[in-house]
Order: sequence, then structure tokens, then C-alpha cells
Amino acid sequence: MKEREFGVITFKSTHYAIKGDSIFKKENINFRTIPTPREITHSCGLSIKFDLMDLDRIKNIIDENQIDIEGIFKIVKSTEGSRAEKLN
Amino acid sequence: MKKVIDARGEACPKPVIMTKKELDSIEEGVITTIVDNEVAKENVSKLANSLGYEYKVDKKGDNEYHIHISKGAASEETNVCTPDTFKDMTIAFSSNTMGKGSEELGKILMKSFIYTLTEATPYPSTLVFYNGGVHLTCEGSEVLEDLKKLEEEGVEIISCGTCLDYYNLKDKLKVGTVSNMYTIYEKLRNPIKTLTIG
Repeated sequence: MKEREFGVITFKSTHYAIKGDSIFKKENINFRTIPTPREITHSCGLSIKFDLMDLDRIKNIIDENQIDIEGIFKIVKSTEGSRAEKLN
Repeated sequence: MKKVIDARGEACPKPVIMTKKELDSIEEGVITTIVDNEVAKENVSKLANSLGYEYKVDKKGDNEYHIHISKGAASEETNVCTPDTFKDMTIAFSSNTMGKGSEELGKILMKSFIYTLTEATPYPSTLVFYNGGVHLTCEGSEVLEDLKKLEEEGVEIISCGTCLDYYNLKDKLKVGTVSNMYTIYEKLRNPIKTLTIG
């Protein structure tokens, strides 16, 4: 059945998430700002969803711009539900 | 039975009212409404659609549309596949930000809210955008992709025509259709099934 995978970056605060959003926008990366998936945390928070193909580029942008992130996760959605794996 | 209603030069919502009146007065047959602008064409088409009648639009020129509506016993019950939506649930967007306070935060919350809509089924049946909310359905909006996805899934997306006009966005609408206050009221009038975000 259909399985979907994507990357998610979580942040230490909403301010960093908003900063991340504006930096990724400038870098012309294909990303979405989404509520943090419940598989990662139940707390209210914003995250950035991205294509796993861009993982290396994303990591570079985070380093170059010193974006304060909390973690990078891979979300796998399948018919059995969805799970998160920590990548970084 | 064939009837022609000339609604050219009539202001919104008159063409809709004229058409509805004629449709109500006949058992079956074809009514052709002639209008002279895009918004009126959309509104009359929407009326036919909401009543479940078949219709066809003929564009006769830059400022002339003929909408042929067939009312027939057979067209009352049409077999269409039902989309995965909450029947009658409407979400109204009165602004392009979610909540009051920081505009920067409000914009990002709205993006995140609309993304969430695409992830949770059943979907609402209708999304209504008015005042600053119409920025979300127009060129430059960061949620167009999500709204298009919802529309493909059968969610009706309507933007207030007066508002598009006010913000000079009439030719910038990228998803859904233009509507008027009558339709907006019909969508919003059930408070139990309406959620307002803005």
C-alpha cells in the first residue's frame, strides 16, 4: 500500500521555527511549515517538513545560518499508521 | 418547454433570483439565462449546480454568457460519488492570519492550520474566504497547494467577490470560485457546523 516518507525539523522555540521558515524560503527549498507531527511530540509546535532528497542541503543551510534546531526526524506513513525516526 | 431570461444589466444577485423564480415555476424544461459578466455567470451556474440540475454555459462574447439549465424529473437524483467530507461543515476564513496578536505568527499559524486540514479526514465540505481571508486563495498565497488538494478531494472553496474586488484580486484568484453574500450566508448559517478562523 501507499507509504509516504518525509523529513521534519523541530525547533527549540517558535521564534526559531519562524526564522527557519524565512531562511528556507530565501534558499528556494521545497518545504512546508507544519504543526509538529504527534509522532514526535504532543506539545504545540511548528516544524518544517521537507523532502528527504534535500537532507544534505537542509543540513548545510542549518549550519551556515546557525539555525537553532532541536532535531531532524524522518516520518514514515503507511497503512499501519505512522512512525518517527530520529535522524539528527 | 423553453424559456429565456435576459438578465443583462442586472446587478448581483438579481440574475440568480430571476433564474430561481423561473425554475421554480416550471415542472420541467430548459431555462436559458443571459448575463453580461463572469460573476453572474458563476452565480447562476452555482445555483443550477446546487439544485442538482444539468447546465451548460455558452460564451457568446466578451460580455455575454448564455447559461442553459435543464430541469427534468430525471435530473433530480444524480448518482455521483460522495467525497470524503463532513457533510455541511464549513470553515470560514475571515483573515489571512490565525488569531490576533503578532501578524508574523498569525500568518505562520494559518499556513500550519490549512496544512493540517489536508491531513485530517473527513474534510470539511466548504471553505469560505472573506475580507483579508481572500489573500489565501489568490496568487502569492503559500497555501494554494493545500487548497488545490482539498478542492480535488471534493471540498468546495469559495471566495467573496466583493472582497476580491476590494483588494484588486479579481483576476488573481487561483483556487475555487467567486461567490456572493447569499451563498456565503447559506454556508455559514448553521452555527453548529461552522468554524470561523481568522
